[in-house]
Amino acid sequence: MSFLRNLFTKGAVERDLDQEVRAYVDLLTEEKVRAGMPPDEARRAARLEAGGVEQIKDEVRDERRGSLLDSALQDFRYGVRLLRRSPGFTTLAVLTIGLGIGANSAIFSVINGVVRKPLAYPRADRLMFITSQFPTLNFSKFWISPPEYFDFREHTKAFSSVAAYTTGAVNLSEGDRPERVNTAFVTANMFDVLGVRPQRGTVFTAEQDLPGTAPVAVLSHELWQRAFGGDPAIVGTTIQVNGAAREVLGVMPPGFDLHDSKSQLWLPLGLNPANRQNRGSHFIYLVGRLADEASIAQANAELQGMLRQGWREWVPQGHVPNDSTHRVQVAPLHDEVVGNVKRALWVLQGAVALVLLIACANVANLLLARAESRHKEFAVRTALGAARGRLLRQFMSEGIVLSVLGAVLGLGLAYWGLKALLAANPESIPRAAEITLDPMVLAFTVGVALVTGLVFGLAPLLHIGDQAVSLAIKEGGQRATSGAGRNRVRRGLVVAEIALAVMLVIGAGLLIRTFRNLTSVDAGFESANRVTFGLVLPPATYPDSQRVVQVITDLSRALADVPGVERVGAMQGLPPMRPVNANDTNFEGYAPGPGDPPANVDYYQVVTQGYFQTMGIEITRGRAFESGDAIGGPVVIINEALAKRFYKDRDPIGRRLNPFFGPNTPLFTIIGVARDVKQGGLDAPAGTELYFSHEQSARVTGFPPRQMNLVMEVSRPLAALAPAIRAAVSAIDPGLPIIQMRTMDEVVGGSLVRQRFLSQLLGIFAGVALLLAAIGTYGVLAYMVSERQREIGIRMALGAGSSQVVGLVFRQGLGIAGIGIVTGIAGALALSRLTQSLLYGVKPSDPATFVAVAVVIALVAAAACLIPMRRATRVDPLTAIRAD
Amino acid sequence: MGQSPTNLLQGTLDLLILKALALGELHGLGVSRRIEQLTRGTFLVKPGSLFPALHRLQDAGWLSSAWGPSENNRKAKYYRLTAAGRRQLESEIGQWKRVSLAITLALQAN
Repeated sequence: MSFLRNLFTKGAVERDLDQEVRAYVDLLTEEKVRAGMPPDEARRAARLEAGGVEQIKDEVRDERRGSLLDSALQDFRYGVRLLRRSPGFTTLAVLTIGLGIGANSAIFSVINGVVRKPLAYPRADRLMFITSQFPTLNFSKFWISPPEYFDFREHTKAFSSVAAYTTGAVNLSEGDRPERVNTAFVTANMFDVLGVRPQRGTVFTAEQDLPGTAPVAVLSHELWQRAFGGDPAIVGTTIQVNGAAREVLGVMPPGFDLHDSKSQLWLPLGLNPANRQNRGSHFIYLVGRLADEASIAQANAELQGMLRQGWREWVPQGHVPNDSTHRVQVAPLHDEVVGNVKRALWVLQGAVALVLLIACANVANLLLARAESRHKEFAVRTALGAARGRLLRQFMSEGIVLSVLGAVLGLGLAYWGLKALLAANPESIPRAAEITLDPMVLAFTVGVALVTGLVFGLAPLLHIGDQAVSLAIKEGGQRATSGAGRNRVRRGLVVAEIALAVMLVIGAGLLIRTFRNLTSVDAGFESANRVTFGLVLPPATYPDSQRVVQVITDLSRALADVPGVERVGAMQGLPPMRPVNANDTNFEGYAPGPGDPPANVDYYQVVTQGYFQTMGIEITRGRAFESGDAIGGPVVIINEALAKRFYKDRDPIGRRLNPFFGPNTPLFTIIGVARDVKQGGLDAPAGTELYFSHEQSARVTGFPPRQMNLVMEVSRPLAALAPAIRAAVSAIDPGLPIIQMRTMDEVVGGSLVRQRFLSQLLGIFAGVALLLAAIGTYGVLAYMVSERQREIGIRMALGAGSSQVVGLVFRQGLGIAGIGIVTGIAGALALSRLTQSLLYGVKPSDPATFVAVAVVIALVAAAACLIPMRRATRVDPLTAIRAD
Repeated sequence: MGQSPTNLLQGTLDLLILKALALGELHGLGVSRRIEQLTRGTFLVKPGSLFPALHRLQDAGWLSSAWGPSENNRKAKYYRLTAAGRRQLESEIGQWKRVSLAITLALQAN
């Protein structure tokens, strides 16, 4: 192809042309010499006759087919020049596209990192997450008990290996800096199941993972770097974990984690395969790797077989999984990790896709309006012989210039937006560390940019048909009122924009209402002016259980003396986001029949004497814990939900119950009923709950909780109190790390991060959509007014008042908005099923939201009419009629 | 050569070049001289229009070119018609006849 030749061998072609032209001059000179001219004169004459060598070459160059590229460049330059000449239009268009593409790339990056990317393990699709399920207790995803784990591991054929784990946190003391570290307690085969080898050293063996586990530990790469400065001789050294020495066996590679637990330390779980007692003690999760030839379906079929029959054969009596009340389920680990955030992310992606659509419609409309005002220019150029293809190319290059500029802006926005997004919401997105603007996203953005460029480019072609050309020329430059067909396209685009904006604003409205509903939920305790932090008293440094109680009591007293601290209490579990305990509990005289709730309590809570008052939890019946309880008989306080479930209308005070704290647990007497506290999330009903006295726990059960959260009612801000609080803790034990000191408002707010994140983002997108739709409406009306200036002028000359002119514009504007709103509401209703699971306390078809949104959009449309309306009334009939 | 040269109609130059080359291969100056001769000096083709036209026709596949020695053993680039060029010449001749007939008729009409 000469085109390619020209393109790639430009140098050679250029030289060839040069020689050819020079040869021509030589031949001409020779001709003149032969005709009798002296050589010097002949040469000068020949040069003169031929014209400049460079000019000739230039003209040949222009003729080249390779100039397709040159002319594309020319189109591009022309496009840039035109765009520079109308900076208002260009800025608006580039901003519009930039916003659309930026939002899309940011959200797509999140989806790519969180949902689409496989987990960071070899053959991660073969990894399954195994949990139990208790339909009658409403536990859809519950732990497995160790005996169940061993039963399953021994009998499964569908899985090549199955590992178990539980997560928690430990105190790590490195020098004088105590630190709280997320820890995974795993079976020795977990590393094999996940398929990840340590970066240094080794991991523990099955022998080291037996009960009374060997004092060994495996570090995460991040912990090794942060706490040990990446010490190359770390393997074999000793670290202090919960006050006891452990030998470091190895370091895992960077980024290694399990189920997004952000674990930094890996310790042996220490289950005893020989012990098949305590079948009801559910506290581990299982991760299994499917055998090479097995599918998920096969694993499920095998499991169903075990549940129906097998398990009962291995364990003839007692608590075993079955296929009705105590199921076991298998799900891909990836789905588990990504789980509940997936739908929210896709909703966001849908929302930004709508924003992009609106942006495209807007820019298409802008270009369409421009194309119409340049109607004559195109007609003249067509008549002068500009090929239609060339015009088309120019349109497209203009569109592509716009969308490329928009894409550059969009990528910038995406980059910073993503940073801001992740910085503002570190907790609400799983796998946040894996989110980056990667080549995939880049490709996506470029694709979107090119497609929008093409779409924009083609839009004006809708009316550069043959008739348009001849019409424009016939009109002789007179401004024609654009045809009905063309207006229909423009209006259709605006209607679509408004409809999409309505859908988005309704979605955002519903989520914002959800968020407000959640923030106004009565959590059952006072969070304002409350400050909390956690403490863990490890057995190695606090072997005596009485001492464990004493430390908390002493610390409570010391904290109460801090100026600005009004009251002090302590609790084992921090509401409102606690994992459910679901402990079997015997209520004296309660024998559940077939339809009755099983004797099981959702939450066990251990609290100090000052707790209820400090947290502002009302005791509705009976009394709270008193100082006499420390030496008195076992007492318990129940919540209202428990009273209602197990005591119905009988008075629970004085009745007794037997919690599960191991063998020889005494009967506890109910002394009071407390108001319900939300423990399992603000959007979930408060579960049943038992409160035990921390002061009597060591004496009565022998197991005082070693992890406690202190809470203080304060009259000064946290920042002012923090040093004194730290000093008080340090005075009791300088080696105790303070865990997450923060206000209770932050704790409550923290449980809503995901909802807040969603409603904020969607709110921003809806705002952008609203703005774009307003611009679109304004554009189409402004154009209509300028186009009908003549008509308006004539009407006014014939006696039409300005109110009639205003009515003309207004009717048109509201007509467009009306159709858009109705279409949008229909669309929102159609999509309501998708958003349902994200809402709380509001129906997806909530009439109030719909009406409010319709009113807002109508107002925005009316506002968009204002400037065109004013302009219409200012039309001077004389000028309008004389114009053109 | 004394006559003032007539401006070439758009598209006519291509036709003349093809015609000039129909009789055999020529270099650039040769094409120019052959056209002058064929039109009895009516058309003088300057290199500024000749070379772009030659390259355009070559890119269209109607001409091929090669370097060769001139009459006096100078180096020159020679052009010749390709088979496609020959067909193009025929079709352009037909078209020209129709146009010139039409214009002649139009000019004769009262």
